[in-house]
Amino acid sequence: MPPVIDSETCIKCSKCVEICSEDVFYGSKKGEVPTVTYPRECVHFNGCVSVCPVPGAIRLRIPLPMQLVYREAEPTS
Amino acid sequence: MIEERMETDVLCIGGGIAGLMAAIRAAEAGASVVVAEKGNVEYSGCGRMGNDHFETHIPEVHGPDREAWIEELLRTAKGEILIGKDLLRTQFLRAYDIVKLWDDWGIPMKYKGRWEFSGHSFPGRPMTHVKYEGRFQKKILAKEARKRGVTIFNRVMMRDLVCNGSRVIGAVGTHTREDKLFVFEAKAVVLGTGKCSRLYPPLTPGWLSNDPHGGSQSGDGRAMAYRAGAMLQNLEMPQRHIGPKYFTRFGQATWVGVVKDRDGRPAGTFVTKPDRRYGDMICEVNKLAPEQYTNAGKGPLYMDCTDIRDEDHAYMMHWMENEGYTAMTEYMAAEGISFKKHPIEFATYPLRGGGLIVADENAKTSMDGLYAAGDEAFGDISAAATFGYISGENAAAYIRVIGKKNIEKDNPVITETRRLIDELRGHENGPDWEETSVALQQTMSDYGGKIRNAALLKQGLQHLRRIRSKARNTLMAKNPHETTRCLEVLNLMELGELTFLMALNRKETRGLHNRPDYPFTDPTLNQAQVIRKIEDKAILDWKPY
Repeated sequence: MPPVIDSETCIKCSKCVEICSEDVFYGSKKGEVPTVTYPRECVHFNGCVSVCPVPGAIRLRIPLPMQLVYREAEPTS
Repeated sequence: MIEERMETDVLCIGGGIAGLMAAIRAAEAGASVVVAEKGNVEYSGCGRMGNDHFETHIPEVHGPDREAWIEELLRTAKGEILIGKDLLRTQFLRAYDIVKLWDDWGIPMKYKGRWEFSGHSFPGRPMTHVKYEGRFQKKILAKEARKRGVTIFNRVMMRDLVCNGSRVIGAVGTHTREDKLFVFEAKAVVLGTGKCSRLYPPLTPGWLSNDPHGGSQSGDGRAMAYRAGAMLQNLEMPQRHIGPKYFTRFGQATWVGVVKDRDGRPAGTFVTKPDRRYGDMICEVNKLAPEQYTNAGKGPLYMDCTDIRDEDHAYMMHWMENEGYTAMTEYMAAEGISFKKHPIEFATYPLRGGGLIVADENAKTSMDGLYAAGDEAFGDISAAATFGYISGENAAAYIRVIGKKNIEKDNPVITETRRLIDELRGHENGPDWEETSVALQQTMSDYGGKIRNAALLKQGLQHLRRIRSKARNTLMAKNPHETTRCLEVLNLMELGELTFLMALNRKETRGLHNRPDYPFTDPTLNQAQVIRKIEDKAILDWKPY
């Protein structure tokens, strides 16, 4: 689902707002911490995370319906 | 609504790999070029976060006999080839030159100084795809386009082509963040608008964005091409893909593992241990395998990389980064999910809209001044890059011999687009785009989905026409962003209707077009079904590949 922004470390550069293909940050203003206006439209391709100049200032929260299904390794006897 | 009007020689609609390659080539040939892109060209299209496989013949690797290599591709075709051989020949005549161009531009096409082939190929057979580090490919292509004087408009969605008879003379669209109409007068238009991905329900019901294409590939190009009178092909032949469940992603050939059942038995016969050179070709031979295993009570099916050697694991992670998998690998790291420890379930992804805009070896469509490339014409990275480049070349040659045609202020297509957008913005208490998408997708899935027959298809067509008409009259958009989404879903509804018409007319079972009322494949229909609008009627026909 949505990108999660840490408003403490975000430097308000709007790079994520510029590049998001789905424009989930629609309506965000330059010079402010971006608003995630359309979280359900996020397609989790990580563009916002990769373009962010501050590591950790933005991250994706992968929504529950998109969690990977995997098998725990069984102990070999 | 204010209107911005501009003139250009060539307008590229869609700034993915094909659109940018078209722009680069047309500008190189001296044309003035505009790219109109719904998102941002640096992060748009299927290649936005990178790719790692480029299909090409390379003489110093494969030997000089390109024709024999193409024959091998056809012989071992993974799935039915629904395009003409001439297109393939044209692609591979030019693909290697594109590989060298990309390498010059800074997209690393070699690995450790040599051509590295792996994935998408059968053990013991000629290799087909060179590995490349495409992580920054879109940024680099955008830079190359700008270097050649191409003007890029990000956040502009084109809605319709403007024609003079059978000649395309421009296009009209809207800004996705402002109430602003864009009119481009162009001597030639290239459509590089991508796939048609949101016709059927996503893997997660109701969760529209769980789609490996992303949300914005809504068949806009084929819808506007059809409305303008261009010929479309095989919309009734849907496609499916395979990949991790539920985190939908393409790029199964980047995985170095073996597809195994719950008891650890390989589902295919191609590999028994993770093999970095081949991956597991069962993913390409039978994308339906996970669904078939589940339906037969034998599921689930896993991509099992647990036997991978350390150096092959590092190799796979390197390519996953280039294929655009970082969202998934970062999530896995945070959750403690490991390729080395955990078999990861694979799923057959749901149906997606099939078909394309008919285009020839010159990337020219059935209309003068209109070209199509990439997934709108025929897909994969190599084809998008090569035919994108070819379309730019031919558009530039065409504009040298054709005069400019002005678009009159009250052109009916512009008036209608303006009216449509004004109405969307004016409606109150109607459905929004998401509600409308869900209604469309359930209709497509229930009546034109995995099982079809004449009665279902006719009923589905009737129902879709009703909801489409309701949507057209009541759909509401609160702002320009939602206007864009509404225009997308209206395009999809139009393509859905055409899909029903074409599915009704293909009276056979073939590929994923499954008609129990016509259970056999009819060899006489081994050709493309085409559709075009003539005097406001959808006219169907057949044409050899």
